[in-house]
Amino acid sequence: MLSRLPPPHLLPPVTVPATAENMFQKPRRQDRPSSQDKREKEWERGATAMEEAPSTSRGAAGFQEAPGTSSQGSRGAEAFPEVWPRSQQQLELKVAELVQFLLIKDQKKTPIRRADIRKHVLGDYKNIFHDLLKMAAERLEYVFGYKLVELEPKSRSYILINTLEPVEEDAEFRGDQGTPTTGLLMSILGLIFMKGNSVKESEVWDFLRRLGVFPTKMHSVFGDPKKLITQVFVRQRYLDYLRIPHTDPVEYEFQWGPRTKLETSKMKVLKFVAKVHNQDPKDWPGQYLEALAEEEARARPETETGGPPSSS
Amino acid sequence: MEEGRAERRRRTEAPRCTQGGARRAGVMTDVHRRFLQLLMTHGVLEEQAVRHLQKHCYNVHDCTAAVEDLEDFINNINSVLESLYIEIKKGATEDDGRPVYALVNLATTSVSKMSSDFAENELDLFRKALDLIIDSETGFASSTNILNLVDQLKGKKMRKKEAEQVLQKFVQDKWLIEKEGEFTLHSRAILEMEQYIRETYPDAVKICNICHSLLIQGQSCETCGIRMHLPCVAKYFRSSPEPRCPHCNDYWPHEIPEVFNPDKEQEAGTSKLNKKPLRSRQH
Repeated sequence: MLSRLPPPHLLPPVTVPATAENMFQKPRRQDRPSSQDKREKEWERGATAMEEAPSTSRGAAGFQEAPGTSSQGSRGAEAFPEVWPRSQQQLELKVAELVQFLLIKDQKKTPIRRADIRKHVLGDYKNIFHDLLKMAAERLEYVFGYKLVELEPKSRSYILINTLEPVEEDAEFRGDQGTPTTGLLMSILGLIFMKGNSVKESEVWDFLRRLGVFPTKMHSVFGDPKKLITQVFVRQRYLDYLRIPHTDPVEYEFQWGPRTKLETSKMKVLKFVAKVHNQDPKDWPGQYLEALAEEEARARPETETGGPPSSS
Repeated sequence: MEEGRAERRRRTEAPRCTQGGARRAGVMTDVHRRFLQLLMTHGVLEEQAVRHLQKHCYNVHDCTAAVEDLEDFINNINSVLESLYIEIKKGATEDDGRPVYALVNLATTSVSKMSSDFAENELDLFRKALDLIIDSETGFASSTNILNLVDQLKGKKMRKKEAEQVLQKFVQDKWLIEKEGEFTLHSRAILEMEQYIRETYPDAVKICNICHSLLIQGQSCETCGIRMHLPCVAKYFRSSPEPRCPHCNDYWPHEIPEVFNPDKEQEAGTSKLNKKPLRSRQH
């Protein structure tokens, strides 16, 4: 039944042909490899190619990192108050690396921590972190249509929001399976909203039981549903799993997580629920008014959720 | 959610970020963006499917505009991708010359692209397979020979049974192709790693005499040793009654394959899977 639900307006995973995480390890110094170990060294050098002279197919004219530079900051880069002169190309390359890093990290749907970005990608460029991140965010949005957004104010972690609305037909053209779990997630989000923005865990399982999903039984599509809902969706920040105080045995409740608030809206979720029941959103006047109020609040720029990465 | 006009305008105009000298980048619209997003979900995609994808993106965003010629469409996107050191690269399958496209990284020359999906020892297994494939005469490495190297892998110890599964994963993710228990590179791997392979194996690497690109599978002249891709052979000797080596002029001893014809395939309604596999190892 879940497969017949309309596609939720949530970001599908993105497979990126980009350089990956362990590429951005601390770069080694540029040792000249011996001919015997050349192949071996090439593999490792390639992994840190971004820090060394890349051999691009465009035949970039001699771009070299300053000799002896390493990301450990052994040259005391922090002592330099200003950005020492870097070529346009070096900056561009760094931004390119950052864009790819963000795309890959977002694929897993775990929010990208600012600390990880600093550690893995920016190395010597720490003092112009914000400028580089801003440039990367601009490129991500202009080229791919993904907006880099801070998860919550001051959270220092980011996610990518798709500025394009997914359509049902997209599924035919995807090379991956998309996320089969989004149907389940969307149903839960719907339940939470309809029940007043918070719902006890026991109620969620009562609801899911009717769909053939049980907390203690492996599911052919969702695997371990309990783990999926209480851990995976929570880690991805789609849901908040909160302990209800003064309960013994401990009980939990679910609410929308910060990612959900950024990626979708009460109105969209209400429309989804209405469609499932073959009714009109206005058939639930309380929720409809609440959804409208949220839309109006978002339209006012000062109270707009999300936005460009804030400065430290 | 209604998007402000100013925001929409900002997104369609070229941003004020670092762009080199006199590079004239094209303009991205939502059609291009959706195309890129969906293309990125494929490691490599056949031209027919790419055309359908393009059409789909036009349908979603702008039904009335005429669908731009695919090559121009892709060149436009590539001019924008240039500053990010990636491009949509066109290639052809080595066995039957189907045109394919992949989004590749320009600034790096290693297999690091794979490393987000595979563990250290799995990547090392791929390296070993690649060594054998490049060194081989036919462009194929046998499963046995690859598995025999399992003890030499870096990282966590891997048993042969595990390694078999990892090899299957490489096939699923389109890094390798398997034929009769032997492995060769998928067109995806060739497109993404050509430069890396040329630099890493400067002596062992084989090049096609016709198109001068990396060659893994192909035919070779028995007299002078030059090699050609099967689709390059097909095009070069097309309607040639007496095929002769372009280098030494000796009689070309191999069966000449047919040039890939996309229209023919649509009419017959045959899929790649139904086609009888072309015998590609003719050395």
